[in-house]
Amino acid sequence: MADLLSVTFSALADPTRRAILARLAQGEATVNELAEPFEISLPAVSRHLKVLEGAGLISRGREAQWRPCKLEPDRLKAVDDWLSVYRRFWEQSFDKMAAYLEELSEGESNGRPKKKRR
Amino acid sequence: MGVRKKSVADNELFIVRTFNAPASVVFALWSSAEHMKRWMGPKSFACPEMAIDLRVGGRYRGMIKSADHGENWFSGVYREIVPDKRLVFTFTWENEGPSAGLEMVVTITFEERDGKTVQTFHQAPFRTIERRDSHVGGWSQAFDKQAAYAENIAREHGA
Repeated sequence: MADLLSVTFSALADPTRRAILARLAQGEATVNELAEPFEISLPAVSRHLKVLEGAGLISRGREAQWRPCKLEPDRLKAVDDWLSVYRRFWEQSFDKMAAYLEELSEGESNGRPKKKRR
Repeated sequence: MGVRKKSVADNELFIVRTFNAPASVVFALWSSAEHMKRWMGPKSFACPEMAIDLRVGGRYRGMIKSADHGENWFSGVYREIVPDKRLVFTFTWENEGPSAGLEMVVTITFEERDGKTVQTFHQAPFRTIERRDSHVGGWSQAFDKQAAYAENIAREHGA
């Protein structure tokens, strides 16, 4: 699982590949269609597609000629889930941080020494 | 809350918070183990263990625990320390789990305004950062070349 997540993140770490995914979010496309907006060669686009496919982010059709590319939303959802776990983790930590800061400043304004832990 | 707009395949986390305290105090909450134990971890977790070696290249290691999730160890290395302004460190979960062993980089900046502090928190997988930084390197090299080229042109025309 950790490995797959690393592979996915590594695949997402490239702006061209993210643009390809954004395009595929609108629907299936062939390699030629995907290559169009970029100033890179077809083989370069194919290499990007191979990385995305290896990470499970896209799949490709069987027809030898066209092999249309399709977004596989499950992997993106895994990334999204991962992010939302972290968002919760840090936001709840920061809630506690704010409460603790409150406690510290109350201690100060009451002229008491700052609360020591246990 | 300045949460950045999400795009397809976003793999980075941004959280902006304003705290009612000066930047030096908010920074201390991140840089002192005793302070960090008081707030680190989600609602149902306590943070009983925290050790910090606050210098560039120094390590920190801590543990949060809850009744449901047991003990969870995390650790990392400090990469940048600018007191009261900026803190950059790596972050890795040591336990088994979906993101065990995946190294992330956390960048926090603190900006004091009228006695309050705006804390900007950013977390991204290490590879993303590495990649982005190498792009930055590429661009600045390109700009260096551009500057040298411009100078040459200026010299030719000046002569």
